Amino acid sequence: MAELNGITIDENLLKRKIIHVDMDAFYASIEEREHPEFIGKPLVIAHDPRKNGGRGVVATANYEARKLGIHSAMAAQEAYEICPKAIFKAPDFTLYKEVSSQLHEIFHEYTEMIEPIAFDEAYLDVTQNKKEIKSAIQVAHLIQREIYQKLHLTCSTGVSYNKFLAKLASDYNKPAGMTLILPGDVIPFLSSLPIGKFRGVGKKTAPKMIDQGIFTGKELLEKSEVELIQQFGKLGYFLYKRVRGVDDRPVEWQRERKSIGSERTYGKLLMTIDEVETQLRYIASLVSETLNKQQKHGKTLVIKVRYQDFTTLTKRLTLDEFIRNDAATIYFYGRQIFDEILGAEKGIRLLGLTMTNLAPIGFENMKLPLFEKKVLNQPL
Amino acid sequence: MEFTINRSAFIKQLTDVQRAISSKTTIPILTGIKVVLTASGLLLTGSDADVSIETFLSVEDEANNLTIESTGEIVLPARFFSEIVKKLPQDTFSLTVTDGYQTEITSGSASFNINGLDANNYPHLPEIDTDDNLIFSGSILKQIISQTVIAVSNQESRPILTGVHFVIENGEFLAVATDSHRLSQRKITLQGANDSKYDVIIPGKSLVELSRMIDDSNPDIEMRISENQVLFILGNTSFYSRLLEGNYPDTSRLIPNESATGIEFSAPKLLSAIERASLLSHESRNNVVKLAINAAEQKVVIYSNSPDVGNVEEALEFSNLSGNDLEISFNPDYMKDALRSFGQTEIKVAFTQPLRPFTLVPTEDTTQFIQLITPVRTF
Repeated sequence: MAELNGITIDENLLKRKIIHVDMDAFYASIEEREHPEFIGKPLVIAHDPRKNGGRGVVATANYEARKLGIHSAMAAQEAYEICPKAIFKAPDFTLYKEVSSQLHEIFHEYTEMIEPIAFDEAYLDVTQNKKEIKSAIQVAHLIQREIYQKLHLTCSTGVSYNKFLAKLASDYNKPAGMTLILPGDVIPFLSSLPIGKFRGVGKKTAPKMIDQGIFTGKELLEKSEVELIQQFGKLGYFLYKRVRGVDDRPVEWQRERKSIGSERTYGKLLMTIDEVETQLRYIASLVSETLNKQQKHGKTLVIKVRYQDFTTLTKRLTLDEFIRNDAATIYFYGRQIFDEILGAEKGIRLLGLTMTNLAPIGFENMKLPLFEKKVLNQPL
Repeated sequence: MEFTINRSAFIKQLTDVQRAISSKTTIPILTGIKVVLTASGLLLTGSDADVSIETFLSVEDEANNLTIESTGEIVLPARFFSEIVKKLPQDTFSLTVTDGYQTEITSGSASFNINGLDANNYPHLPEIDTDDNLIFSGSILKQIISQTVIAVSNQESRPILTGVHFVIENGEFLAVATDSHRLSQRKITLQGANDSKYDVIIPGKSLVELSRMIDDSNPDIEMRISENQVLFILGNTSFYSRLLEGNYPDTSRLIPNESATGIEFSAPKLLSAIERASLLSHESRNNVVKLAINAAEQKVVIYSNSPDVGNVEEALEFSNLSGNDLEISFNPDYMKDALRSFGQTEIKVAFTQPLRPFTLVPTEDTTQFIQLITPVRTF
């Protein structure tokens, strides 16, 4: 057992070497790599608002555009108003996904313990690594260099003994930076950190914190554990630990998928039950294929419908036993749940089926051959 | 229409009729209860289209204390009507249809006026035009239902398996249900069945409702079957259910004739052990328990393992173990349902192979009642 800032923890937690890799303006950088003429100009990854009547949102923007105040999740129209000269490039997710898997190939040279967060972000546990390098800083440098040499992209890395600090560290010096946080650095580093930068403190909680006089980690440190739990519940419980540099979450490299699903968007809206049935059959076949590939089955089927006016409904059906992995069965239940939602008259722009409550097909409850004519007159 | 009646006699019949009424029905008039008054008595009807229940309160039965001022008919909202009648202050109450479908219900100084509906709009009940009837003892029928409905499927993807298969032939009655993972079959000799021959599938849900209506005061129940309906007559009450369409799969071939390993257990003791083992298996995503039988050492052990929580192991009490060693895994929920249906008896469990279904029968009478359970294959 060890003690860290007043909290007793397992000393092995302090011996971990965790790297958070965060690609710098990932989508925008890939586009600059593919289109060198974009370099040095404000670049916005979004459908051009002049061409589609102003719909759409910004997926990301390069650093030139960010300096002007353009950021992700902003309406593309708004970005256009800020900078009419900016280049608008429609996102190419197929390409980004491909680059992301190249990125993972590089990670796998160092460790199998990789927890992907998004296409452009991952935690790596390099406490034990394939290259048997003791220094995590050296591993981080090698990864950064290899990504640059092989993919011509830059990333920022954060190195620490837990995920919370590694993530804050990678954000500290962007782009192409590297930051190391050791147990002794925790209090000075977190004391000056604005409260909104603590994970879990978002738009809703930040004003409440500020009301309590908590502006940075410094004031957070002054609150007692019980006070924080009383005021912020589970979040308070974790913040008390985090601000003292304690985070025992492992890098979840074997994380299982919680659900398997498929959805389709339709340019031409689905207006009739016939069209819905055809599409549901198709989607059910995709879901069943993926389930079979992954050797999973589930007990809960969820249907998702988005209407023309963007109202979105989901309905679910849970059975006592696992739903059979075949397209016809999944379609049957999908069709049954669809009946419980409104019809198709409003015009459907998106339809999806997802199987959740998954378990590996590690066992199979055997079935009586009730409907198999061949074995007739043969005892089982 | 106007009458006065004993309240408790009325409530008893009303409660039965209400079993058929569903608040979820898409036909508004079926949320009501139909009340028809003739010179001979009062007929109450409730229905959800699948199940209809009709009961008659005779003017001649003194317990009903029924006095008729004028005959007629009305449909009253079932929920309000029953709650009102149950809460009225005196032993009797009067019901009068006044203006149009306005209905006045009075008891002592309490008086309700509720809106009724035109009884002509109430759907016609199915007609059963057969005189051929079969007589069951109420308690036997109740037992047969409880022993078989446990194996009925609740998955609508195979509608036929949501029913219990009734077969009457050669003076013998057979009831069987299966959800394809387990099967339950009960046989009895039916006195007076003579040369009646029937093969029908009755929805499990209907039978559950029917069995709730059978109490000790129903010594005999009459069953009549038509093309697509079955009627059960319990005293003054008629219970109609639709039949499921289609051919029930041939289940007789599924029951093994031989066994390689046999053991006897006390059903309640085995049930307790399975309940203990399933405490943890339910936590795991694989709801499985494993039974290991060692004939040479005369040892039978049950295991369950749930990686997140822990594991359990228990040596079972048994008698007369014979045959081959065996390890078999199964869903404990199926086993629990099956064991409960045996009550406090001794049972005989027979296995053939690890991946073949096994059977449970009462030790005393091995032919009248059988439960079959399919095992779980683990990888």
